[in-house]
Amino acid sequence: MSTLDRTKAPASGPLRHFRFPDVERRPLPNGLDLRVARLPRLPVVSVNLFLRAGEGALSSEGAGLAVLTGDALEGGTERRSGSDLADGLERIGARLDVGAGWEGTSVTLSCLADRLPDALPLLAETVLQPGFPEEEVQRTQEQHLAAIRQRAMDPSGLANDAAAARWYAPDVPYARPVDGTAASVSAAGRDDLRGYADACYRPREGGLIVAGDVDPTEVEQLALDHLGSWTGSPAPRPDFETEPLTRERRIWIVDRPGSVQSEIRVGHVGAARSTDDYFALSIANMVLGGTFTSRLNLNLRERNGFTYGVRSRFTFRSRPGPFHVSTAVGNEVTAAAVREILAELEAFAGEGPTSDEVAAARDFAAGTFGLQLETAGQVATRVTQLVVYGLPERYYHDYRENMRSVEVEAAAAAARRHVRPQEVQIVLVADADVVRPSLEALGVGPVEVTAPAG
Amino acid sequence: MSRLAIPVERHRLDNGLRIVLSQDRTVPVVAVNLWYGVGSRNEPPGKTGFAHLFEHMMFQGSAHVPKNKHFELIERVGGNLNATTWFDRTNYFETVPSHDLELALWLESDRMGWMLPAMDQEKLDNQRDVVKNEKRQNYDNQPYGDWSERLQAIMYPEAHPYHHTVIGSMGDIDAATLDDVASFFRTYYVPSNAVLTVAGDFEPSATLELIRRYFGEIAAGDPVPPLPGNPEVSATLGGTARDHVRADVPLPRVIMAFRTPPYSAPSFAVVEVSRALLGMGRASRLYRRLVRERRVAKSVVTYVYPLMTSASMLLVWATGFESTEPEVLERALAEEIRALAEADESEVRRAIALTETDLVLTLERTAERADLLSMFELYFDDPGRLNRELDRLRAVTPEQIRELAATRLGADNRAVITYEPLARR
Repeated sequence: MSTLDRTKAPASGPLRHFRFPDVERRPLPNGLDLRVARLPRLPVVSVNLFLRAGEGALSSEGAGLAVLTGDALEGGTERRSGSDLADGLERIGARLDVGAGWEGTSVTLSCLADRLPDALPLLAETVLQPGFPEEEVQRTQEQHLAAIRQRAMDPSGLANDAAAARWYAPDVPYARPVDGTAASVSAAGRDDLRGYADACYRPREGGLIVAGDVDPTEVEQLALDHLGSWTGSPAPRPDFETEPLTRERRIWIVDRPGSVQSEIRVGHVGAARSTDDYFALSIANMVLGGTFTSRLNLNLRERNGFTYGVRSRFTFRSRPGPFHVSTAVGNEVTAAAVREILAELEAFAGEGPTSDEVAAARDFAAGTFGLQLETAGQVATRVTQLVVYGLPERYYHDYRENMRSVEVEAAAAAARRHVRPQEVQIVLVADADVVRPSLEALGVGPVEVTAPAG
Repeated sequence: MSRLAIPVERHRLDNGLRIVLSQDRTVPVVAVNLWYGVGSRNEPPGKTGFAHLFEHMMFQGSAHVPKNKHFELIERVGGNLNATTWFDRTNYFETVPSHDLELALWLESDRMGWMLPAMDQEKLDNQRDVVKNEKRQNYDNQPYGDWSERLQAIMYPEAHPYHHTVIGSMGDIDAATLDDVASFFRTYYVPSNAVLTVAGDFEPSATLELIRRYFGEIAAGDPVPPLPGNPEVSATLGGTARDHVRADVPLPRVIMAFRTPPYSAPSFAVVEVSRALLGMGRASRLYRRLVRERRVAKSVVTYVYPLMTSASMLLVWATGFESTEPEVLERALAEEIRALAEADESEVRRAIALTETDLVLTLERTAERADLLSMFELYFDDPGRLNRELDRLRAVTPEQIRELAATRLGADNRAVITYEPLARR
């Protein structure tokens, strides 16, 4: 046995062949885009029914209706109560969850593969024949209102909501919390939910994604049997601009007396999922704040010990979602942390990443992609993204190569284009009496203090 | 479904390091996972929080790995890594593309064998600050953030190793020295107190050879010392212990906990099934009754602690609405827990069906697979237990549930922590 040289990191072995799983596309006659990925690894299946019923298409008065309607589906169907529905699913070990976001509503089902013929009919019944019993709707509403109240007292949740309202102009949907406000949620009634489901839970433009240890032909037959007679198109979705609230840099303190930490969000309107420099921008963000060894984390956590962690991210949506840096720091270092964040943003937008940094980010992106496709649920989520954002069928087959071919110039250009330190809105949830003087002394922009409700 | 058949291969190096290998070549991913038999339970008074602070120090470099290189090298290949400290153990793990397995073995072996030469005061001071920020962020600045501290304080007597929290006291953290780091390392971070699991896409015999090369020359170390304090406790609390908190929280919450046999006891399976009956899924008793039908709770959570030292815990909590009186919540929880004695065979089957799906979904993740195998090896010398998990739960009968409800889930063995919002608007 040769002597081991511990002073050098071992080199990588030969790269293992990796391919995104093949996906069979079998659209149903009613327009539902059925896609099946066969994964024989474990006897499980993950199903995602994606519907064009998203919060982004709702006015501010209707905010939260998609989320509320989705959550109320567990209240039961025309044929069985909420308890009976839950019991029917859980007896066969099936988990059914509904979640609505800006783009649409996803109904996800996970179970052992041999239970799919029993579970899919229950998913279909839940979505196609919702009962919306009065008391279950009221309960869902109460739960939402309580969740809104909880979030308002959670510094991190409060910071996220407050920041969105400072990044976007008031009439942009993304300025509000995705699940609506106390006023809009209280105003919704059973008929609103029923009307919404009737208008938006439609097969056309939607997708049924099935990943797991299944046979595509059998899945297609199951889908035809239980979802084939469903018809119609969802309500049209109005387009909207994503104007910022202001382009002048400002500091907004949401006062939370007695805070031992300041929650900090620094950001502005970012980029849409369809941005032509998606890969370069993703690589650039990894260097700035997307990984543990990013510039921001090495500075604020490892060098300065200000925080447990700091991240930056672009939230890609069909319209430009926010770009932001988020962290939580001790009171006494709040201003210093804001100063360091701005300095990192300025250096990054100005000079861009180095070629070493880009090379490291490319390797990270290429490696991590394969690691995120272990489970049927992860594969189903990726395939669903193709439907949601209208991406090409082989988009994820080429994804790793696209990430690996980002050049330093392209990443620098993306940083220049999408990171604008002069336009950021700096939002803090903090004890204003404690942190205001030092934030004013920074001289980076006017400072405004509001009460939590503001 | 037929039985689980996760492959399990066991080995042991001359220095006592236990090794579990579990191959699965379907995805090009490999997980390296180490469990050390040390946690917050090993901390004597005055040293609380040290096991966790030490875990942070393990990422500050070792003789051949500069500070931050560990993160940098793993991220560079697209892998992910982390570590967690818990009552009975500390775990470290990397998931990497399978062609980078050797990198992870090099990193883990270097800090197991050669951590101390790289330690200095500056690194300790820096990680002390990071840990303090972690405590502020995850505990002090969070509504209900002190619940675990309150719960452990009333569930376990002062001399018991579970009396204090994993995050510990900041005063103790401030007092930690480099000497403490060195002696903790020499005492607990020895091969004979560790399990190394490799799961996923690798070739077993070549990998075993690599492990021998990287870990084989690390000195064995002495047996670990007995636990500090007095780990013995009575089977039950002998009454209802209470802590009523008026605090700046958004909604009332009642946390109810019961002392149970430890994770190692055969009867712990009954506790696990009881927990599933109470709170797993929307057909569970607490969700159906408290959330759906009576609408006194906004949400319910149930949990079992898999704790090894003399006694474990079953925990349920219910968060009310603004207008809910905490006493109403408490009474409702107590009633439903009493009614658990009525659970029949078909209800038990529902709970097990859901547990089965969750277990298989968990096993889809190579890292989770490795983590469970390490746990079963460290705690029970039996990683193959993973394939028998469901049998253990399937054997639980309604009679056993009734007995557990009667002997362990009553007012004579109950801790209740009530959070009442300051401002009742």
